[in-house]
Amino acid sequence: MRAFAYERPTTLQGAVALLAEHGSEARLLAGGTDLIIRLRDGSIAPRIVVDLKRIAELDGQIREHDGGLTIGARAVMTDIAADGRIRRDYRALAEAAAVVGSVQIRNRATLAGNICNASPAADTAPALLVYGARVIAAGPAGTRRIPIDAFFVRSGVTTLARGELVTAIELPRPTSRPGSVHLRRTRRRGHDLASVTLACAVRADGVTQLAYGSLGPRPVLVSDETGLLADPTAPELAKMRRLEALFVGASPSPRSMRASPEYRLAMLHVLGLRAVGTAIERLAQGSVPR
Amino acid sequence: MTDPCVGMSPRRVGGRDRVTGRQAYVADIHLDDVLHAKLVSLDCARARIITVDTSAALAVPGVRLVMTAADLPQPVPRFGPQFQDRPVLAAGETHYHGEPLAAIAAETKDAAEEATRLVRIEYEELPAVFTIAGALDPMAPLVQDPALRPGDRLARSNVLREHHYGWGDVDAASADVVVEGTYAFPMVTQFAIEPHGFIAAPDSDGIAVWSSIQHPNWLQRVIASLLHLPLAKVRIFAPDPGGGFGGKQHAKYEPLVAFMALRAGRPVRLVLTLEETFQAVRRGASEIHVRSGFRSDGGLVFRDIEANYLIGAYADIADRTVAKGSYTSNGPYRVPAVRIVARSILSHTTPSTAFRGFGNPQQIWAVESNMDEAARALGIDPLALRLQNLAHPGEAFIPGDTPADGDWARTVERAAELIGWGSPPAPGRGRGLAVGLKSGPTTGLSNSIVRLLADGSVIVYAGTSDMGQGARTIFAQIAADELGAPLDWVTVVMGDTAVVPYDQQTSASRSSVFMGNSILLACRDIQAKIRAMAARLEPVDEAAVVVERGEVRIGGRVTPIRDVLVRGLGRLGGELIGIGEMRKEAEPEHPLGGTAAFFEFNCTAVEVEVDRETGDVVVARHVTVSDVGKAMNPIQVRGQDEGAAIMGLGHTLMEHIIHDEAGRIRNLGAIDYRIPTSLDLPLRMESDFVENADGPGPYGAKGMSEGALLCVAPAVAAAVHDATGVRIRDLPLSPERVWRALHDAAESPDAGAPEAIDAR
Amino acid sequence: MTMRQRIELTVNGRIRSVEVAPHHTLLDVLRDDLGLTGTKECCLVGECGACTVLVDDLAVDSCLMLGVEADGASVTTVEGLATGDKLHPLQEAFLETGAAQCGFCIPGQLLAAAALLANDPHPTRAAVEEGLAGNLCRCAGYEQIIEAVVVAARAGASES
Repeated sequence: MRAFAYERPTTLQGAVALLAEHGSEARLLAGGTDLIIRLRDGSIAPRIVVDLKRIAELDGQIREHDGGLTIGARAVMTDIAADGRIRRDYRALAEAAAVVGSVQIRNRATLAGNICNASPAADTAPALLVYGARVIAAGPAGTRRIPIDAFFVRSGVTTLARGELVTAIELPRPTSRPGSVHLRRTRRRGHDLASVTLACAVRADGVTQLAYGSLGPRPVLVSDETGLLADPTAPELAKMRRLEALFVGASPSPRSMRASPEYRLAMLHVLGLRAVGTAIERLAQGSVPR
Repeated sequence: MTDPCVGMSPRRVGGRDRVTGRQAYVADIHLDDVLHAKLVSLDCARARIITVDTSAALAVPGVRLVMTAADLPQPVPRFGPQFQDRPVLAAGETHYHGEPLAAIAAETKDAAEEATRLVRIEYEELPAVFTIAGALDPMAPLVQDPALRPGDRLARSNVLREHHYGWGDVDAASADVVVEGTYAFPMVTQFAIEPHGFIAAPDSDGIAVWSSIQHPNWLQRVIASLLHLPLAKVRIFAPDPGGGFGGKQHAKYEPLVAFMALRAGRPVRLVLTLEETFQAVRRGASEIHVRSGFRSDGGLVFRDIEANYLIGAYADIADRTVAKGSYTSNGPYRVPAVRIVARSILSHTTPSTAFRGFGNPQQIWAVESNMDEAARALGIDPLALRLQNLAHPGEAFIPGDTPADGDWARTVERAAELIGWGSPPAPGRGRGLAVGLKSGPTTGLSNSIVRLLADGSVIVYAGTSDMGQGARTIFAQIAADELGAPLDWVTVVMGDTAVVPYDQQTSASRSSVFMGNSILLACRDIQAKIRAMAARLEPVDEAAVVVERGEVRIGGRVTPIRDVLVRGLGRLGGELIGIGEMRKEAEPEHPLGGTAAFFEFNCTAVEVEVDRETGDVVVARHVTVSDVGKAMNPIQVRGQDEGAAIMGLGHTLMEHIIHDEAGRIRNLGAIDYRIPTSLDLPLRMESDFVENADGPGPYGAKGMSEGALLCVAPAVAAAVHDATGVRIRDLPLSPERVWRALHDAAESPDAGAPEAIDAR
Repeated sequence: MTMRQRIELTVNGRIRSVEVAPHHTLLDVLRDDLGLTGTKECCLVGECGACTVLVDDLAVDSCLMLGVEADGASVTTVEGLATGDKLHPLQEAFLETGAAQCGFCIPGQLLAAAALLANDPHPTRAAVEEGLAGNLCRCAGYEQIIEAVVVAARAGASES
């Protein structure tokens, strides 16, 4: 690993100033489970690494606000997967957080870091998309909220401006408690990078939201407002047709060694249909995890 | 006698250090004044090196040496267990992705790493071959300079060697049903959790080398020959390898590190990254065409096998894996006519080498898959077809070789019984079964020394490497029983060629048999001295004294060996020394240079669930039964068999090295080379063994530990076929591959049928 | 070369003060600076778990954490599991079931298991499989390792 300078600011202002000063020469360190791999393989070589873990304003708490939740920038996957409120009201997010790597990874990896890397395969991104999460970012110009769908640009690129960093992620109060689920495809049952990662939420008002990753440069949110997908009595074939129309924008890379585009697309449809079925069941059960 | 230790499962000797972190593997050894080495390689499969400029690298503070081929004796020394073809550092041309052409030695790892980035190499990328078809193309570039293979008629091709075995007349054989197919086995890598590590240090007028090596004595010869030193001036320390699986049998970068240490005049250590380890060792890939002829009642009439193995840029021991894996490729069956052609094909890829199963898993994948297809074509139960054709005990199933040395039908029947063969599987599941046979060592030499100290405690000196298989424990158990010592009074010394006598190698599941017998003989040597001692003390005639399993019997009186020893040694004390030697000579006329010392035999039966929409295969039940002769340590037998079974599931379901269109490894490292985790286990694993005390080792033991890997793939593929009707002849059975096969079958119902079923 | 930074951490109950390079991982610091070689180095990408240690009682891959991040933390390595000559119940169980073969993955397996049992003193088999999924073993096929954790749980490993 190449040498770099290490800074550990204690205030948000200090961190923002470091980022503003060093721009692309600086990298933020939260959990480090992606960053350190990339530092070692040489795909990034920053001059300075800014550790966020001593910033007084940042924490790993999960707080309630206006009926929704605010997840602190330092919250790790283990805590998100175990949080009773997330498991109850945002179950797809809890399920996604529970499959991000091994226990050791989940003990360090943060939700904020997962979305800031903007990997198309990030498992938590589809869940955040279907719940309409907002990213709270602090920067030289102050604090702003970015709808998660407006946050991702492409692999490794977000709409964060120079000097901005994520301080928290907000999950709005669910309009009604949806039935939701996260599903993925991997090369083995043990932890793996997803070749399809997908979240689905079916709301009581008949709207179904699906978000998928690993099938293009960024995770994608689609919505069925016809009520067809949410209808437990609608024929499977009709749902498959509807999903086909919804997933038309999926464009998996032909360059990946993890799965071919044909397989990814086929699995998107398989998982989509399965997810809709599970979400409908969960909606009916009131989405209480076992 | 006291309670026997052999046949019990005492705690592993050396186990305590393994659970406390005190076990020192090569990377854990610190030498004062050591330099840290890093390799320099190119990110391409094959290149002509034009210039190497080391000046910037040498200018990095702390860098002491930048070694290139120009700094070695000229021509650059080459080595290898079969052919002297591997250069210490690439000279003029690199031949595979990751082949080192320079190496740095520096005061710190950081400085060495920084310097690797500053070696300026001007090179021209050259066309490379990395598939069987590509390498066999008449226009293909030659991997090896023909000058390295003088007098070899194949030197102007990429075929390193072609082997022909068989008996009877295949062409004249008349079969009712002929079933044929081609079966592919991918490149996979050993992935020992310990990456390979090497240290070399000038040692007065010689050299000391530490390596995570399976064959320290062989390495000693290689280093002595390259450095023109007498064997006595080359001291190999071989700390327990952190897993070997064949990948650590033969020298890799020890010669380089030795030359560096001598040039620097200081110790040099090189610990590979896991990525570099992937670029250092792998199993040969293969495409094997099998044509089997049967009578309509299921009797095998002939077998015709053509096997192409893709080996790497240097031969290492790969051609021997091809020869040995192919020689027994007909399997444990009685077949009147067999023809086997097998080729080792060089390519611009990682040199393939020994890997658990040693060339056999590829053949067994092909032949056992073909047997399952034949059973379907004949309308005969796959179990019945195996039992019908299995060689009986004592039957010369390979003419001129060791006859069948086990009651193999019992092993097969036990596996069938455990899986409930014949009863219907749970709905949606399928069952499959296969057998695997592997020849044990064809030659061997294991020397040992055993010292019975004055208090009855014992030191055993054995040159075997304990890489997890538990050799140290087995040796201690034998010595404890034979000399009547408690197990914790026995010390086993290994891994230092200056102290421990010669052992040819730790491979082919030989150690329990070869070194085990050697130690048994050394103990018998001591027993003879105890017998003389007892006769003198009594006094009685020696003929009246029996010494056996730790005890001295004179008439009806039984005395522990220790009591006789203490009295016999008297005031002067001292010790008794026994020496043992187990030798199996080469047989020059034999196609492999020697008959099998024993056969490993396993039967694996599985039950699988296939998700037809995703292609996921879940092994619901996995039964593995091995014929071990005698389980000297049942917990260790189980551990070896279950470990081998899961390793087999790795290449069956997920493992394969992927190259890009230029021959570079794409899935280099643990993120994209997947091996089974604890979440990838069969839902239920059952292992068992058959003990008939019919092996050549101590107490009737046979070698074991590769068997349970041999036939996992064909058993699982047969079960997938049973569950889905789809036949897959390529590994791994990844979800995508199974999905695609199901998809293709749905579109064209004939897909997956044998290439040919010729029923006359 | 970047300046080394002094950090203070507790390792196996002992306070250690050490100067570390910012780009060195906790694994580097443990093995090279503190001489604690029980923690093993293999994949360096957080896949194999051979470098697992406990940081403030949580299992982490020490290859994916900078040494400087451990400033002020309490770290437990395999060397800290036993109490004097008395092995930890997990160590006993690993020996009893034959779980340790070559041994290279075992320090990581032990610490992952210790963290698991601290959270879940009587885990189901599924929980053990999940808790150890970040620790690759190439020798044992996991069955005897899983058994060892179950045996240790029965022996009350989490209470020691």
